[in-house]
Amino acid sequence: MSTLVNPLDESSRDRLSPAPRLDGLEGKTLALLDISKPRGKEFLDRLEQLLKERYGVSRIVREVKPTYTKPAPGALLERLGFVDGVIEALAD
Amino acid sequence: MLIAGDQAPDFSLPRLDGTDWGLEAAAGGPLLLVFIETDCPTCRLTIPYLKRLAEALGPDGHRVVAVSQDGGQETRELVEAYDVSFPVLLDTDLDVSRSYDPPSVPALFLVGEGGRIELSEVGFHKGDLNSAAEKMLSSLGLPVRTVADPDDGAPAMKPGCTSRHLEPVMAVGSVDVSDEVSGEVSGEVPGEMSDEASGEPLPEPIDLLPERAPRASRLTLADDEDPYEYCMSAGFSPFLPVVPPTAERVDTFLAGVPHPPDRVVGLVPPCYGPATIEKIAANAVMAGCKPEYMEVLIPVIRAACDERFNLHGVQATTHSATPLIILSGPAAARLGFASGAGVFGNVARANSSVGRALQLVMTNLGGALPGEIDMSALGNPGRFSYCVAENHEESPWEPLHVELGFGEDESTVTLFAAGGLTEVSEHTARTGAGVLRTIAATLSMVWSWRQCGRVDAVVVLCPEHAATLSSDGFTKSDARDFLFEHTGVPLRAFDHEGTEGTQARDSYEEVLIDGEPHYRKFADPSQIRIIVAGGTAGKFSAVMGGWLAGAEGSQTVTYPVKW
Repeated sequence: MSTLVNPLDESSRDRLSPAPRLDGLEGKTLALLDISKPRGKEFLDRLEQLLKERYGVSRIVREVKPTYTKPAPGALLERLGFVDGVIEALAD
Repeated sequence: MLIAGDQAPDFSLPRLDGTDWGLEAAAGGPLLLVFIETDCPTCRLTIPYLKRLAEALGPDGHRVVAVSQDGGQETRELVEAYDVSFPVLLDTDLDVSRSYDPPSVPALFLVGEGGRIELSEVGFHKGDLNSAAEKMLSSLGLPVRTVADPDDGAPAMKPGCTSRHLEPVMAVGSVDVSDEVSGEVSGEVPGEMSDEASGEPLPEPIDLLPERAPRASRLTLADDEDPYEYCMSAGFSPFLPVVPPTAERVDTFLAGVPHPPDRVVGLVPPCYGPATIEKIAANAVMAGCKPEYMEVLIPVIRAACDERFNLHGVQATTHSATPLIILSGPAAARLGFASGAGVFGNVARANSSVGRALQLVMTNLGGALPGEIDMSALGNPGRFSYCVAENHEESPWEPLHVELGFGEDESTVTLFAAGGLTEVSEHTARTGAGVLRTIAATLSMVWSWRQCGRVDAVVVLCPEHAATLSSDGFTKSDARDFLFEHTGVPLRAFDHEGTEGTQARDSYEEVLIDGEPHYRKFADPSQIRIIVAGGTAGKFSAVMGGWLAGAEGSQTVTYPVKW
């Protein structure tokens, strides 16, 4: 019989459930988050146009992460607290 | 914001227990007032240092006073979580915050004799914490001590969060929120609003620098259970068998470390599991380390958890970068690290096992498993182990740690987020410049041919090439400057629009290299690091490209080898 020391992370973590899915896009406020990869703006400009023209999204908020290599700063996420949904753009 | 020389405004605020605390309570000695927010990661980073200062002040520990800009409940939770014993006041109406007017928190005001402010600073700065501690301790006739060790794994500085009294009612930046806000000042903070919007509590902020974490659990195996297979199936190392971390083996490692087993060395990104001495030891056992290698492994973990290194990005990127450990100094030979022939291969237990231990810590405590959080498209053989020592005996120049400002007798570990290794054969050049021109051609290819300025590189010079350079009069600095000046991408390579690197060409510097127009590959000579390693036979040097460089990518970090 041998006793082993657990080498894994044993921190307890809260499980978060995904936010409820939107029932549709009509009249919603969406944020488009550019993670600052090359050509993200072009992609999101077109997406913004389509979301408004085809899906009746009432308002688009645009934000840009300072760098795609790190998580978004808390202040940026807080600024997006009021929107109905966020679309994140990878681009390249 | 009030600054040094200003008179500290008098005030009185309730403590957490409801009793009043007035500025006169600190009369007759110095006072460190620190404004904090309970959900500010930088404030949380600062608190253990304030505790250390209060402890050093002994009976005068009450001269460290925190002013919370949040409510009683959140503040009480913070005080309990950090076991804070110095006074904590509640500035619920933010009146005192307005009178001291810091733009951000944490905000430190050192109040001296006569109530005059001697030092005021916002954010986390180890230097300012130490200077405040020195002033307080010396004015009270107490022995001066460092409260913020520069090498404890926390960054030297970290900006904080906007002070509550300056926060807009709804922090939505430039977005017009007239539809959402009735125009009434609600006094709510954004975090609370997000709570209401989602109906779910916000996740707890990450505790950036806890001092202690729970001990590891013990797992008892049945007599017929093969411990080697158990370690693989339990996910300790699903990819390569390991030495089972028995309690006896781990205890042997712990016995040689002058820290308690539950001491946290760092939180390992991207999942931020606490790397306690005990957890590091268990992973070191599995990797095949000897107990004495912990002296090197502990600073390696400090470096990996340093925010500047950005292990979060290094582990999660689709690129193949992984930390390369470069050991420099006398500790390498003393502990048996290889620096000569075959240095990047399977040549010494110390190199293989310390590199492997870091990788195990990164997956077992950092949580970045391949294909899950580690999204590297190709991976990298270095993800098994990537650890070399500099070959000081065969180097004509000062060692890396001396170049970085450390003493000859000291040793250091440097972590570089490295991709693969590209060998450069140059057996016929008879001059240093000839050797460097060949290396420069390979350097021009790191990351992607046309991508300039965004990637660091390490040049590993073999002893024969280093000797050629030295005999031609090149210092290490000369060699780096030569590589910087001669590494470029010819403009003709940019004829194919749309290829990687062409989009950013407006930002590149155009220079003539050997009479032909080029874009400079590197933005600064410091993006090229040179080490000497490898065997004395064979004119093979190597170039290693990094991941994205600088503050927006991964910065190369160096830590002294010390407990």
